[in-house]
Amino acid sequence: MKNSKAFIIMKKELFRVFGDKKMIMSLYIMPAIIVIIVYGLMGKMIGAMESDIEEHVATVTVVNGTDDLKAIMDSSGYKETADVTFLTEDEYRAQKDELENGILEGDNDLVIYLDPDFESKVKDYENGSAVPELDVFYNGTEEYSSQAYYNFSSAVEAGYQSKLLADRFGNLGYLTAFTENVKEIYKEEKANTQFMSMMLPYLIVMMLFAGVMSIGVDAIAGEKERGTLSSMLITPAKRRDIVLGKLVSMAILASISAVVYCIAMVIAIPLMGMDSAGLSSGGFGAVSFGFVQIIELFLNMLVLVYLYVGIVGLLAVLAKDTKAASSMISPVYIVVILFGIMTMFSFGREIPFYRYMIPIYGNALAIKDLVSNELQFINFISSIAGTLVLGIAFTVAITRAFESEKIMFNA
Amino acid sequence: MIQIENLVKIYKLNKRKMRELKTDSTTKIAVNGVSLTAVPGQIYGLLGPNGAGKTTTLRCVATLLKPTEGKITVCDHDTVKEGEAVRESICFLTNEIKLDEHFTADYLFDFFGKLHGMSEEEIKARKDELFTVFGINDFKTKKIEELSTGMKQKASIAVSLCHDPKVVIFDEPTSGLDIVTARVVLDYLKVLRERGKTIIVSTHIMSEAEKLCDRVGIIINGKKVIEGTIPEILEATHMPDLEDAFFELFKENNPNYEGGVSNEKQ
Repeated sequence: MKNSKAFIIMKKELFRVFGDKKMIMSLYIMPAIIVIIVYGLMGKMIGAMESDIEEHVATVTVVNGTDDLKAIMDSSGYKETADVTFLTEDEYRAQKDELENGILEGDNDLVIYLDPDFESKVKDYENGSAVPELDVFYNGTEEYSSQAYYNFSSAVEAGYQSKLLADRFGNLGYLTAFTENVKEIYKEEKANTQFMSMMLPYLIVMMLFAGVMSIGVDAIAGEKERGTLSSMLITPAKRRDIVLGKLVSMAILASISAVVYCIAMVIAIPLMGMDSAGLSSGGFGAVSFGFVQIIELFLNMLVLVYLYVGIVGLLAVLAKDTKAASSMISPVYIVVILFGIMTMFSFGREIPFYRYMIPIYGNALAIKDLVSNELQFINFISSIAGTLVLGIAFTVAITRAFESEKIMFNA
Repeated sequence: MIQIENLVKIYKLNKRKMRELKTDSTTKIAVNGVSLTAVPGQIYGLLGPNGAGKTTTLRCVATLLKPTEGKITVCDHDTVKEGEAVRESICFLTNEIKLDEHFTADYLFDFFGKLHGMSEEEIKARKDELFTVFGINDFKTKKIEELSTGMKQKASIAVSLCHDPKVVIFDEPTSGLDIVTARVVLDYLKVLRERGKTIIVSTHIMSEAEKLCDRVGIIINGKKVIEGTIPEILEATHMPDLEDAFFELFKENNPNYEGGVSNEKQ
């Protein structure tokens, strides 16, 4: 093993990266740091935005506000979130354009307009007559304005409507046919992992490919372009040993890249959720794997890396230089991302096992099932087999390409 | 020993290459029926203008290209059927094959030594010898990318010779080198000749060939037009030196040649 030519070549390829601090920095450390910083900053910014909206005191104008409406505004605590100005009809008419323009410019957040006879119209309502309307003016493109409207409709409007209906009918119970008594029955582990089972397959299939792509293009097309690959071709090493050494080293380097990226994500996602109530649930901490699941995940990632190395390796061999290789590989990257996205939205359907045999897509499906603890053995085997067969086909094709003088020497 | 019998190499041309070469032909005959023999203890010089077919011939000998027709044997091994055995016996140095610039000469010497199946002791002994001959010890731990052209070429030669090959194939070994470095390379080729190696060298530099080569073959337009020792070639062409002999042969084989600009289709 130690003296096998494939092993010697693999060692050299690994040393090229690990013997160079700059390469380690650019390949592993910097991307991880950037991920942590970007996600951390995103969490901070989203958290700051959420608390800013929550803490903002909305500027609200109520026209022809009734005593009941004012009372509900007081009792519901709405006034703690809004600075409310009450206007009469005449005052409103004098300021109407200014108020509407204020909403447009973000100076005013909300205007509630009640007809001067609003409550008498509600009280005197008869079957068949027009239902009285409450006009609301807000700007849906402004966060403050949207939040002000949301607070008004949830804290004031429903209560005000109930009060008016109770006044009309004496007892609000007549208007309620039944109430709901909801009991949610679910697997806690599935509920906790729903977010991750959506995100993790996508992230894994995408990140592994990105890792292979960044390493593979230079390792093969770059060496071909620089003429350094030929120096190996004139040694007694068999072509298949050179291919094997190259592919295994690419797979190792790409896997390390994926692991580093995953660790960065494990650190980054809680950082992202730390300052945001909306993002704090469903992080990596919600996922827990048993020994069998870890093995299944590892094998899935292994065959996936093998296939990726085969795809990138073949395209890099066929390309004349790194530029051509990158442009040939980019469409494949888009397909990989599409496969990842497709699995994100495949909830609630029974997926036949043969779909798990579709390389990359099947692996993403299997990882998704793994996260939610629903992976069946037949689907696991299908996902491994489909990808492995295609990976072998690519390896054979690369070996043939290495033997082709037209491909290797443009002859 | 290298034996080339009736070597023919035809390249298929794609449309882009056809446009580049301004030809309607879908093929290009790079080498057309070349035969030659290089024996141990001699330096065989392969001379010819650019595009004559020298590099293609040497690539076929080094197993990088397969002959379209003909047969090549190196140390009695067929280059097509026994490629690995041939590659064990040869070193091939050409400008198009370079050392990986991310590594040091020291590392690459070890790496190629291991690929040739040498033990660590053998590698160390060879490295000590070659690095001393070519003066590489001073920069052996520097990455190739940090070296000058001359240093790179010295490192390339030392690394290519790591396994003490029986056959040495150098394609324009002094190209781009300063006079001092070129002299070191040529002197070492003479040492290798004394050690009984079979050496084949292609070059543009006629004065270099005159001083170095025991036998010379001149290739023009893919065909070997003459072969022999330098005196034999001078006698056959009735010319005072190899450069004049070469031009005489070149004009004979390019009737449309008009003083420095060839209108031949290559």
